[in-house]
Amino acid sequence: MSFIKKFIEQETISRRNFLLASAYGVGGVAASSMLGGVARAAISDPTVAWSYRNRTNPYWNEIVSGGEAFIESLGKPKEFLTHLINEGSSEKSLSDVKALLSKTNGELALAIDTNDAPNARPIVEAVAQAGGYVSTIWNKTDDLHPWDFGDNYVSHMTWSDEGPAEQTARILLDAMGGKGGVVHLGGIASNNPAIERLQGLKNALKDYPDVELLAAEPADWDTQKANQVMSAFLTRYGDEIKGVHCANDTIAYGVLEALRAEGIEDMPIVSYDGNPQAVQLVAEKKILATVFTNPHWGGGITAALAYHAAIGTFKPSEEPNAHREFYGPAVFVTPEDAAAFKANYIDSVPNYDWKDFWGPTNGQIAYK
Amino acid sequence: MGSVLTRNVLIKWAPLIVLIVLVLFFAAMEPRFFSLRNFARIGISSAPALMVAIGVTFIIIMGSIDLSMEGTVSVCAVVFAFAFIAMGGTLASFAWLALPLALLVGAVVGLVNGMVHVWLKIPSFMASLAMGFVGTGFALLLTGGDRVRVQDELFRSLLTERWFGFPIMCYVALLFLLIGWFIQTRTTLGRNFYAVGGGEELAHASGLNVNRVRILGFMLAGVFYAVGALLAVGRIGIAETATGSNFMFVSITSVVVGGTALWGGIGGVWNTLIGVLIVNVINNGMVVIGLPGYVQDGVLGLLVILAVVLSTDRKSVTFVK
Repeated sequence: MSFIKKFIEQETISRRNFLLASAYGVGGVAASSMLGGVARAAISDPTVAWSYRNRTNPYWNEIVSGGEAFIESLGKPKEFLTHLINEGSSEKSLSDVKALLSKTNGELALAIDTNDAPNARPIVEAVAQAGGYVSTIWNKTDDLHPWDFGDNYVSHMTWSDEGPAEQTARILLDAMGGKGGVVHLGGIASNNPAIERLQGLKNALKDYPDVELLAAEPADWDTQKANQVMSAFLTRYGDEIKGVHCANDTIAYGVLEALRAEGIEDMPIVSYDGNPQAVQLVAEKKILATVFTNPHWGGGITAALAYHAAIGTFKPSEEPNAHREFYGPAVFVTPEDAAAFKANYIDSVPNYDWKDFWGPTNGQIAYK
Repeated sequence: MGSVLTRNVLIKWAPLIVLIVLVLFFAAMEPRFFSLRNFARIGISSAPALMVAIGVTFIIIMGSIDLSMEGTVSVCAVVFAFAFIAMGGTLASFAWLALPLALLVGAVVGLVNGMVHVWLKIPSFMASLAMGFVGTGFALLLTGGDRVRVQDELFRSLLTERWFGFPIMCYVALLFLLIGWFIQTRTTLGRNFYAVGGGEELAHASGLNVNRVRILGFMLAGVFYAVGALLAVGRIGIAETATGSNFMFVSITSVVVGGTALWGGIGGVWNTLIGVLIVNVINNGMVVIGLPGYVQDGVLGLLVILAVVLSTDRKSVTFVK
């Protein structure tokens, strides 16, 4: 039950911080507005914090374990990392950050997903105002840019799935011999990654005139739904289907079983996410390719960027824009490298160089 | 008298007529819909849902509602998968014991469900919904969010082995449908469900232990949820917290569409079979005729309302709550 104890302790601290912050707030706001933000040289030993949804989700668990790995690389115990858990509430996210800024007197290196895009601006402004350093991932509005905040808004990383999905689509279309029918099973129709992954397939199809996109249906990231949709596709198109493009691994599992029920074993399939089970299926050549976005590295490097900017290892304002706003990594897993990938990323976690900030990233963010 | 008889007969057979009309409609739109292989596909997607829906049928006949199926199915699936793998991982070993274990777990969850409802006097709607969340949470605790693969060829023959074009799981579902029918018509418990649903006060005044019937009803439902869980695992070879997802909507909808009234006392397992088939024919048919994904949910909702309008006898009730 130690996690409950931990949670209570954490809540107690953040409540105390909140009270302190409220007390500080009145004076602090007046003072900072006079000074127009705290300008300071490097912070020698900043508090490092990760603000995120919660740890029960495997994706966020990976992100945070990356943050802890970075902390340990500094020779500190992983408990040194402060966890601000927003449980999906933007309000809690903002109030926690403000409380921690007061407690640390702005000596803070913060890595954060602000829960929704509009919340990024107040968070970044609060951190910049207090003289702290912040790196964000996933959520921010298109008009908010790190370079508008000097050094304090260090970086923003997000992932675009369109390019990688296009590349897996090419692998699929090549495996089909460049002709025949392909079906797409997508995520929840309104989800951004679902839209991007379908668009990736459509982009690739432009170069394959002999391949027809027979149908694209949402399977809601759900194995059972994917199973049923694939069955219905088999009725409608039967032997016309020569390949299946899945929006993620959980969908691919359902598709594989729908095919298995019909005794179809050699259908080319590609998916996305690089879950351990999918990597295993890639190694067995049941899936031709999947894409791994390396959340562990993402979580570590986001904390590392904020930390190193804070202690003055590099000066963000002297970096090019491509080092301030960039896409996260996308690692392709194909049958040839699945075994090596499994050994390197799943069976053991690689020792990353947390000062190689931009090596694995994927170019500057492009706005549409 | 003649007209009354006709009306009653019509209402009795309305769900089946709706089903036949739907099949003919989809077949006319896309001839490939009307093939043995597609009926087998509809059978595969219906089998687990049918088990869950039969479970909740008994509860609805009593005039209660059970919304715990998603949690119960997940727990049963996960416990089954862990036990199955721990005891050898193939039906040819002692791992077959995981099958009755899963049914036992379902019964226990149903028992707790019924006791919370009856003893704490919490409406079945709330008690079962809450127990469902507990179940989902417990399944998550057991798996830590991971999925458990059950790869035993013998167990997976539920899906892969076919007799007369239909996989074994369809026959298993049929067997349990007959068991459900037997309980409904040939046992005291089954008839008591109707007594409670038709008029609880009257049943109580006649000396029936209504609380006992309720608790047993929830236990029985739990066992059928467990069978549904086993077939769901058999279908995709994976047990996870999400195994139970969507069963609530499909099962409740199926029961009502099949003509079992939510106010209790009317309907039965055959109605539920027709209801499950209606929902799955609609789901399958919409994809088969190529209806765009974004209108499917809306069309499903409309068809469900239409099916309920056609297949329930609403003249016998003065108001609906």
